[in-house]
Amino acid sequence: MRSFFWENLRIALSELWGHKTRSILTGTGIVIGIIAVSLMSTLINGVDTLFEDSMKFLGRGNLYIEKWPWFGDEDWWTLRNRPEIELDMADDIKERSEYALVVAAERGRSANLSYQDLSAENIFIHGVTANYPEVSTVDVEFGRFFTESEDRTGAQVVLLGSEVAKNLFPQGNPVDKMIFAGSKRFRVIGVLAEMGKFMGSFSNDTQVLIPLATFNKIFHGPWGKRTITVKVPEDRVDEAKEELRGVIRVLRGQKPGEKDNFAVNQQNAFRQTYQGIKLAIGGTGMVITALSLLVGGIGIANIMFVSVKERTREIGIRKALGATKGQIQGQFLIEAMVITASGGLVGLIISTLISLAISKFIFPANMSFGVAFMAIGLSIAVGLFAGLAPARKGAKLDPIEALRYE
Amino acid sequence: MSLIQVKDLYKIYQMGNTEVRALDGVSLSIEQNEYISIMGPSGSGKSTLMNLLGCLDTPTNGEFFMDGINVATMGDDELAHIRNKKIGFVFQTFNLLPKSTSLRNVELPLIYNGAIKAADRKGMAIQALERVRLGDRIHHKPNELSGGQRQRVAVARALVNNPAIILADEPTGNLDSKTGEEIMALFDELHKQGNTIILVTHEEHIAEHAHRVVRLLDGKIASDDLTSRAR
Ligand SMILES: Nc1ncnc2c1ncn2[C@@H]1O[C@H](COP(=O)(O)OP(=O)(O)OP(=O)(O)O)[C@@H](O)[C@H]1O
Ligand SMILES: [Mg+2]
Repeated sequence: MRSFFWENLRIALSELWGHKTRSILTGTGIVIGIIAVSLMSTLINGVDTLFEDSMKFLGRGNLYIEKWPWFGDEDWWTLRNRPEIELDMADDIKERSEYALVVAAERGRSANLSYQDLSAENIFIHGVTANYPEVSTVDVEFGRFFTESEDRTGAQVVLLGSEVAKNLFPQGNPVDKMIFAGSKRFRVIGVLAEMGKFMGSFSNDTQVLIPLATFNKIFHGPWGKRTITVKVPEDRVDEAKEELRGVIRVLRGQKPGEKDNFAVNQQNAFRQTYQGIKLAIGGTGMVITALSLLVGGIGIANIMFVSVKERTREIGIRKALGATKGQIQGQFLIEAMVITASGGLVGLIISTLISLAISKFIFPANMSFGVAFMAIGLSIAVGLFAGLAPARKGAKLDPIEALRYE
Repeated sequence: MSLIQVKDLYKIYQMGNTEVRALDGVSLSIEQNEYISIMGPSGSGKSTLMNLLGCLDTPTNGEFFMDGINVATMGDDELAHIRNKKIGFVFQTFNLLPKSTSLRNVELPLIYNGAIKAADRKGMAIQALERVRLGDRIHHKPNELSGGQRQRVAVARALVNNPAIILADEPTGNLDSKTGEEIMALFDELHKQGNTIILVTHEEHIAEHAHRVVRLLDGKIASDDLTSRAR
C-alpha cells in the first residue's frame, strides 16, 4: 500500500508536469482561496493580540468617569452639553464609595517641549495625581514618580515617556535636567518604561506626566479631556459601577428621573464592541474564504473529469494489467490532492510574505503554525472532495471499453 | 479439473437492428501447460475470445471457469488480481502507455503486484526487456520505437510477472521472420517451464510451435486439432 502512495505521487507529479499550464491555472483557484484563509486568520490573530495588549493599559477593575461614553448611540448634542467632569470630585468619591480602592484624576493636552536646541512637538502632557501608578500600567524606569506633596504644591516636575526621553536626550540621562514646556521650566525627575501602543495608534511612550495641580496652575481654562479613574475590586465591577453612578448623581445634585450627565466607562465596553466587530469581520471572511475554496474545488473537479476522460485508455491499460478500482481511484485522488496541496503551499508562502510585510509596516500579524497547518489541511481536503467524483468515475470504467476508447 | 473451461460462450454486439455474433457458442477446455494457437480469418472472433479468457471482457451468455471457479462470480478486485498475477496479455494493438518509457511500461504489472518490492522492480523489468532483446531501448518511449520493438515491449510486459497463462494476440504480427522466431523461442521456453501459452496467429509456421490448433470461423469453432509437435 505504501509503495502505491509513492507510485501514485510519481504518476501525479509527472502528469502535472506534463500539463504545466493547465496545472498552474487549475491550482490558482486554490492558491487564492488559501491566501484568503490564512491571511484572514492571521490578521484576526494579529488584531486579537493587539487588542489584548492594548487592554492591559486599561485595568480590568478600573472605572473611568468621563463626560463622553466610549461606546453607545446617545445624541451627540446632549453629550456635548454635559458639564465637564469636576476633577475635585475625586476626594468626595473616595470618601463616599464603598468599593473605591483608589481614585485618581487626570487631564491632558498637547504642547511643545524643548531641551537646549532639541525640541519635541505635539507631546501629550498628562496632568495626573500622585496615585496614578496605582491605576495604570506606567512604570518608572529611571528616577522616581512625583510625591503627593509635589502634587499638592504644584511642583514643576515631569516624567518623560520613553520616546520623548529618546528624542530630547539622545545621549544620556535626562534625570535632573531642566526642560521647557511652552514657557514653563520643568525638572525631569524620571523616565517611564516603554509601553507600546494603545490600539495600534496612540502611544503612551510619547507622553509626559506632570502633577495634576501643576497642570491646573499652568493651563488655565477648559483644557483637555478629564477623567477620574476609580479602581475597584475586579470581581465587583458591576456593583461598583452602580454605586458610583449614585454617588456622582448625588455629588452633582441630579434629580431622580434625570438622565446621568456623565459616563462611567470600563474595559468591558471595549471588549464587547471588539468581539462584535471581530465576529462580523471573521464571519464575512469565512464566507468569502469558503466561497473561494468552493470555486477552486469546482475547478479542480472539472479538470479532473477532463483528465479522467483523456486518460480513458491509460485507465484501461492499467486495469488490464491488474490495477484494482481502489488503486485507480487512489491515483486520481492523489493527483487532485497534489494540485490542491501545491496550490495551498504556494498560497501559504505568498500569505506568509504578505503577513511579514503587514507586520513590518502596519501591525504585528504573524502566521502561526496552527494557521499554516490548517491551510495545508484544508487544501488537501478540498482536493479530496473535488477529486472524489472524477476518481470514482475513472475507477468504475470497464477495462475492455476503456481500452477501445479512442 | 481443467485450467480453463468455457461452455457455450456467446458474445453478441447489438448494432442498431443487426446483431454481430462475435462469439457464437464456443465450448473449449484448456489444460495446464497446453500450448495452443488460435487461427481463423479476420473478424472470426479470435480477439474477442482472448479478451474473455483474459478476464477483461464479460460474455453475453455462457460460462467460463478458471481453475474450476466461475469467473462471473468473482469480484472486481479478484479479477484484477488474476489479470495481474495469473495472466500475461500481449495485445494485438500493444496498448503501451504512450508517455512512459519501455522500462516504466514493463514495470506496470509489478507495481500492481503487491508482493514485489519497489527496489526489485527495475531489475526485473530490465531482465524482461533483455529477454526480448531490447536491453538497449529501456529509456525509449513507444513513439521512439519501431512497430516490432513496441510489440516486443508488449511481450516483455506480459512476461515480467511470470504469469501461469500467457495470452498473446498476434505477438509476431509486426516482426520479421528472424525476430518472430526469437519471440517464439521465448514462448517455447516458457512453455517448457510449465506455463500455459495461448496465442493468436495468421501464420501457419508460427501456429506450428503450438501443440494444438483451434480454428474459428464466424464465432464458432471450426476445428480443434493436435499438431505434429504434440506427442
Ligand atoms: N465493440 C464491438 N462492437 C461491435 N462489434 C464488435 C466489437 N468488437 C468486435 N466486434 C465485432 O466482432 C467480430 C470479431 O472481432 P474480433 O476482434 O474478435 O476479430 P478477430 O478475429 O480478432 O479479427 P482480426 O484477425 O482482424 O484481429 C468482428 O466482426 C467485429 O466487427
Ligand atoms: Mg484480433
